[in-house]
Amino acid sequence: MVSNFGFFIARRAINAVVTVVLLLGLVFGLLHILVPTPEAMARIISGNPRANGGVIAATIKANGLDDPIWVQFFNYVVNVFHGNFGMDTFKHVPELQELELYLPITLELVVTGQIIGVVIGLYTGAIAAANRNRAPDYGMKAIYLTTWSAPTFLVGFIFQLVIAYWLGLLPATGVVDPTLPVPHVFTGAPVIDGLLSADWSYCWSAVQHLVLPALTIAVTGFGLVTRLGRATMIDALDRDYVKLAYMKGLSKRTVVWGTAFRNALIPIITLIALLFGFSVAGAVIVEDVFGYYGMGAFSVNAIFNFDYTAILAFTLVTGLAVIGANFVADILYAAADPRVRLT
Amino acid sequence: MSSSDTGNIISVENLAVTYRTVYGTLKALDGIDLSVARGESVSIVGESGCGKSTLGLATVRLLPQNARYAAGRLMLDGNDVAMMSDREVLAMRGTTAFMIFQDPLNTLNPVKRIDVQMLEAIRSRCKHERTAFSETDALKEAVDKLGDIRMPDPDSIIRRYPHQLSGGQIQRIVIAMGLLMRPKLMIADEPTSALDVTVQAQVLKLMRELQREYNMSIIFITHDINVAYGICDRMVVMYAGQVVEEGTSDVVTRKALHPYSQALIQSVPKATKEEGRLTAIAGAPPNMLNPPKGCRFHPRCPYVMEVCRERAPPEVEKDGDAARCFLYGGTAS
Amino acid sequence: MGLSDLVDHMMRRPIRATGQVSEQTEKKEEKEVQVKEGAAFYFDYMRKDKGALGSMVVIVAFLAFGLVEGILQYAGSLFKDTALGWAILPSDPLSSTATTFKSSLQPPSLVNFPANVLGTNFQGQSILSRLMYATPHDAAASLVVVGSAILVGMFLGTASGYFGGWVDEVMMRLTDAFLALPGLVLAITVAVLIGGGFTALLYALTLIWWPTYARFFRAQALTLRNKGYVEAAKLNGTSSLKILVKHIIPNSVDPVIAYATLDMGTVILTIAALAFLGIGVSSGYPEWGAESSAGLQFFPQQWWYAIMPGLLIGIIVVSFTLVGDRLQDLIGGRITY
Repeated sequence: MVSNFGFFIARRAINAVVTVVLLLGLVFGLLHILVPTPEAMARIISGNPRANGGVIAATIKANGLDDPIWVQFFNYVVNVFHGNFGMDTFKHVPELQELELYLPITLELVVTGQIIGVVIGLYTGAIAAANRNRAPDYGMKAIYLTTWSAPTFLVGFIFQLVIAYWLGLLPATGVVDPTLPVPHVFTGAPVIDGLLSADWSYCWSAVQHLVLPALTIAVTGFGLVTRLGRATMIDALDRDYVKLAYMKGLSKRTVVWGTAFRNALIPIITLIALLFGFSVAGAVIVEDVFGYYGMGAFSVNAIFNFDYTAILAFTLVTGLAVIGANFVADILYAAADPRVRLT
Repeated sequence: MSSSDTGNIISVENLAVTYRTVYGTLKALDGIDLSVARGESVSIVGESGCGKSTLGLATVRLLPQNARYAAGRLMLDGNDVAMMSDREVLAMRGTTAFMIFQDPLNTLNPVKRIDVQMLEAIRSRCKHERTAFSETDALKEAVDKLGDIRMPDPDSIIRRYPHQLSGGQIQRIVIAMGLLMRPKLMIADEPTSALDVTVQAQVLKLMRELQREYNMSIIFITHDINVAYGICDRMVVMYAGQVVEEGTSDVVTRKALHPYSQALIQSVPKATKEEGRLTAIAGAPPNMLNPPKGCRFHPRCPYVMEVCRERAPPEVEKDGDAARCFLYGGTAS
Repeated sequence: MGLSDLVDHMMRRPIRATGQVSEQTEKKEEKEVQVKEGAAFYFDYMRKDKGALGSMVVIVAFLAFGLVEGILQYAGSLFKDTALGWAILPSDPLSSTATTFKSSLQPPSLVNFPANVLGTNFQGQSILSRLMYATPHDAAASLVVVGSAILVGMFLGTASGYFGGWVDEVMMRLTDAFLALPGLVLAITVAVLIGGGFTALLYALTLIWWPTYARFFRAQALTLRNKGYVEAAKLNGTSSLKILVKHIIPNSVDPVIAYATLDMGTVILTIAALAFLGIGVSSGYPEWGAESSAGLQFFPQQWWYAIMPGLLIGIIVVSFTLVGDRLQDLIGGRITY
């Protein structure tokens, strides 16, 4: 059975890699459709739309822009796998450096937001399922339809306004108190670094700054989980194996949480990957609203400056992260459901 | 249909069960009288929607949320099921009565191994009997029980997941699980309807043997009158939420009194091709929101009389067989 | 109330209802449930469901107003008379001449109704007027994007599902890759690369949206191609194209309509988010997301500037979501009435 699972993981990993290559192909293809000539590409890379012929020619030479498409794609893929995302057009540093700086901050935000979102979703889904077609069910539905439909920036603004500005409970902007010295950088994510360095004030400040942005992401996204959770829970509770469990004389608690809920959770795992993509998109806006300088803010600046290399790098990394989340979800699903991992 | 409850494992008196739906109140069971003695096997026969599953679920308090015990009493081992407290229900389930269900694919928890699920049953029984639970003993008991139900290679089967087993195997495992709880009554709700015929025969034979071995009462719910005849001493025929005929299997199948029972028996395909067309029962099952007045079978009955449309027929006994039909009297009152 | 009720699912309180039960059944006997067919079915249901009814009203108002205002603005640019653009609005949303700082950044109030209901911006212009002015932008964009995505997805997806084979494989991988990227992120990339104007926005969004519909239609085609009437048509020698057009596509449309309604809301959210970031709008055009972003400067003191556009977006999108959700329930047979 162990080797069975091992094979499964290996298959999924290969699948993920193939999708990554396809993603790269997509981005590459898109790029070259939208920017068809080597000259146009050179203009983009050099960051100067009005560059003269000499600069353009030099850029073309330097970046191999007149090589055949296949060669360019190959180089591109190789570069990406080596972590070479190109040179930032403005700061003239490797993109990778920028990414290393900003990515962990966003990842921390997105993962936290998603976890909170899933928890809220599961709880509200359970309540809705328990009170099917009665007031709490409709109430939950009304809530999640509203939060799902509200623009992310609105939710962010409301949180910021009410909790940070009017009530003063939490800081309104920023990742961490800027007056605190930065502890040793382990991962780049403020809360984790603070924990690992045992720098409690830094860690606490980071946590305080994390709450509202993460909540915003959670609140706008949990509806998906509620909806599916309610459906799967109702479905599970109606199943014969739940009745059989009752027949064994097991208590309500054991049957509902040990049996029904456990089975109801399985389809929800597939949602995680979808939710992750949604959370990343939300993070772009949230970071802008809360001045939380992660990948989202980085990309917003890049948009403003027409920094194409940065935007491409951002897109790629996001795609990779979502594929990664898909992979994790696949593995979790197989771990939870024996029907998938065993023949 | 006697209602004395001495020595009877189940004694149902005038039971009515209703469901509240968006369309109104649906009377699934209306005035059911039934009793099953210890060690006896009774089959409940009827078409889909006649309320037989509801009766089974009502016995073990597994009815859905919108159901109500509207009238009458359901005595299980001397206790009124509808009046039991939650704790009493927990104690009752498994040890007094055990129920097995129709669809083998959904009847076991798909994410847990068989041994884990069987141990759950043993653990629960030990808790109710207040005996100590030992995992090694329990495992051995489970494997032994699998042997009792004639399962080959129980050691390897017990470590598998449900989706790796066939329907017949699963149903037998569920029976074993039930036996582990040592119930006085086993209710089987169409357990073999989803299996093919040879496997069906195996499971039925097994149930018959076990019933004798353990002196367990069985209520066997089915729509297949053949199966009912094969396994049970007594047969109860239900239609539209009511009992229309009751008697020993022999008498009911050979000399059925009620027109519905007669039609059921006639509709069984014969072995040879020369018998002609298959006889079907005319008409459609009744709408339980709005059942026919008088005798509920009257729209489909070939012998329908005026009185059938107006009044519900009383029960009439004849040679150890009892039926609700005006054909045998009762028109005067 | 709460988790323990979850568990009450399996336990019921024994209730002794006596004669009442039979009375109720008799009363309900008389009320036969009438079920109508087709569009009448949906409208009948909507009439009973107040929430859905209210949402339909909002949606119709939104689209209708967008249409009217859009025509006016177009006519205004055609006849060089920009006053047409705000003829039906409470006040002039764009001009900065007719303002004084006295009316700058006013909070929502009933003064000068209805112009100041949502407050004013830095130039003293009514926020309400500005938002109403931008309605055609979102209305048109969402309709165009969803419509185009459906069309493209319909052809590609149905063909892919019906013919199968390597065409299908390629399509699956392609949509996989597209769906790997969150919509907003891809939209940002594409829109920035191709210029960032309104048309660029439409192209970018259609490009992002079609894979979902392609998947939808593909799934339907896969189910439908095994149906009896399709087999019969094939045996009759009907051309594949005719089969697709006559049998497969019309039967795929129902669930798509429900999803598309839901999707309109998502598209509007994405447009607003992009505008918030400055993509897809010409400067000065008071698109709702852009307005909210502009209000960021004056946050939190003049909070209404940032919040009001968001609220408006929220209301419109909730309406689409609610109606789409109800339609999905109806089509999925999860509710009857």
